[in-house]
Amino acid sequence: MKRSILIVAALAATFGATAHAQDKPTVAVVAKVGGIPWFNAMEQGIKDEGEALGIDAYMIGPTSADPALQVRAIEDLIARGVDVIGVVPNDRQVLEPVLKKARDQGIIVLTHESPESENVDYDFEMISAQQLGEEHAKLLADTTGCEGSYAVYVGGLSVPAHNAWADAAVNWLSEHCPEMRQAADRFGVAESVDDSRNTTLDLIRAHSDLAGIMSFGSQGTIGAARAVKERGMAGEIKVMGLFSPGQGRRLVHEGVITGGFQWNPLEAGKAFVALGNRLYEGGEIADGDDLPVLGTIELDGHTIFASKPLALNEETIDELADLGL
Amino acid sequence: MRRLHLGTEGVLALIILGLGVVLSLTTENFLTVQNLFDLLNNQSVNMIFAAGLVVVLIAGGIDISFAVAASVVQYVVMTLLISIGGGNWLFGIALSMAIGTLLGLFNALLIYRFRIVSIIVTIATFNLYFGLLMVFTGGVSIYDVPDWLYYAVPLIDLPATRGSATLYLPVAVMAVISLATGFILTRTGFGRAIYGFGSSPEAARRSGVRVGLIHAFAYGWLGMCAGVAGLMQAHIVQEVVPNALIGQELPILAAVVLGGATLGGGRGSVTGALLGVLLLAVVQNGLNLLGVTPYAFRMIVGFIILAAITCSNLDKLLPQRAMAREARS
Repeated sequence: MKRSILIVAALAATFGATAHAQDKPTVAVVAKVGGIPWFNAMEQGIKDEGEALGIDAYMIGPTSADPALQVRAIEDLIARGVDVIGVVPNDRQVLEPVLKKARDQGIIVLTHESPESENVDYDFEMISAQQLGEEHAKLLADTTGCEGSYAVYVGGLSVPAHNAWADAAVNWLSEHCPEMRQAADRFGVAESVDDSRNTTLDLIRAHSDLAGIMSFGSQGTIGAARAVKERGMAGEIKVMGLFSPGQGRRLVHEGVITGGFQWNPLEAGKAFVALGNRLYEGGEIADGDDLPVLGTIELDGHTIFASKPLALNEETIDELADLGL
Repeated sequence: MRRLHLGTEGVLALIILGLGVVLSLTTENFLTVQNLFDLLNNQSVNMIFAAGLVVVLIAGGIDISFAVAASVVQYVVMTLLISIGGGNWLFGIALSMAIGTLLGLFNALLIYRFRIVSIIVTIATFNLYFGLLMVFTGGVSIYDVPDWLYYAVPLIDLPATRGSATLYLPVAVMAVISLATGFILTRTGFGRAIYGFGSSPEAARRSGVRVGLIHAFAYGWLGMCAGVAGLMQAHIVQEVVPNALIGQELPILAAVVLGGATLGGGRGSVTGALLGVLLLAVVQNGLNLLGVTPYAFRMIVGFIILAAITCSNLDKLLPQRAMAREARS
């Protein structure tokens, strides 16, 4: 008896929901690959925002980071007749035709981390390369008081993204902290804990005024922190940069890693849904708008630049590490 | 004329000494206990690899799978130890040696039993080992290593101007492995058989050397060294990252060849291999201390390798003198 009442209630709820969904969009987001912490967090954000807005929002995670799988997933979504398709492209070029097809059918198309994509309504970035570099530079300036010298690590001397961040940071420092000196040209060691650790040990010895290390490459931050800790100079030499929260958690709590910035996949997931919903409702987007989730944005062509750096520090690290990031 | 009798090791030692003198004069920090200890600490893993690799090169083979094998050992050992609740140093080292040896023996089996050229076999196992590692780990790192592995084990601790000068456990492990390898190669009949087999496999076979055993020992020993090196690397960086060691094989191979081993087999020594690693390390260390721009690092390292190998081959470039010397002796 009780069970049948439950079933009736469940059915009513389901039908009720579909009836409501007539004027609400369905938002589907295709991730680069499913099942990894970064996109698990993004999926969480998509679901949370979907619930908050009362719309049907979900993520599809291909089994491998293969653009062909993304193409198939998007084709399925077109056939299913969703209203908004979001995608974090594995390969922009491969996706262009299918995204064009989606837009031709009146589906709103959003991308993330792909400013070059053409067949989209909008692409959104949580933070610009410029800002990511400058946030690190500001952290360095604040924690060292603009005194001493600093070193910059990148994943490779020819990795475009890393060097764009590093350029922005160095430019900001030479403008705002003219008395601060870069100890040497940037080092391409940030993809290896061993190399960055060895380099840091050498730099500590060679430059008695070394005050900080910025690493735009996730292993470099860890390696530099290990070296600084080994020398018993935790807190004296500020180590900052990108790193994976789970990996750096212990070092942040020990005060060896001062902090760092990245962007939050959970927020990016929310932004997909909020942005899709706004566009579906006929909202326009202009430079300087204050959007839900993304806040005040800059519009460059069809790329939306939000200003949402995610600070990694003593307070935020545990929560982020628990998300598995 | 006497200078020509120095051999590759002597020439290398002289070059390193020369570099050392230059660096002591041009930088304030090269000739400090702290820097020398750091050099040893940082290079102990590479030196353990080199001590193992030189055996394979002397036996006339080549192996490029050892660095990846070390990563596999790190993963298997850490996963096993964590699953049984942590383990300890003794157990960790024994397990690393055992698994490393097995991976090496697999190479030896393919090379000896199926008569495949060693470079092909190890290119295959290089891919196989790394592929398996990626499939089974999904590229996920292990950050929570057991406590015994996490905390550095200091052997000698001296005060220094900035921080302290400390010599750590991996250096002692490196010394033990190098001495053991050197002892087997130079003080035992089996060691002579390895040299003999490397110089002329056919002659060695006809004079009753057990070829299978030589292969098994050479690759098994390198595998064991790789296992230990992997454990030491995980100890130093306090985590296990699947791609931390891949790519290390070529610099180490270059260092060992620099130290007098040849790809043809029959030549080489542990001392030479260690000096080869040390030379490359001193160059890198010097570049950092001098504040040379990192954009020029590779260029200078390449130049030093060429210069060193030319110096140590000088006697062979002067055929008449060398012949005269041999005639005299």
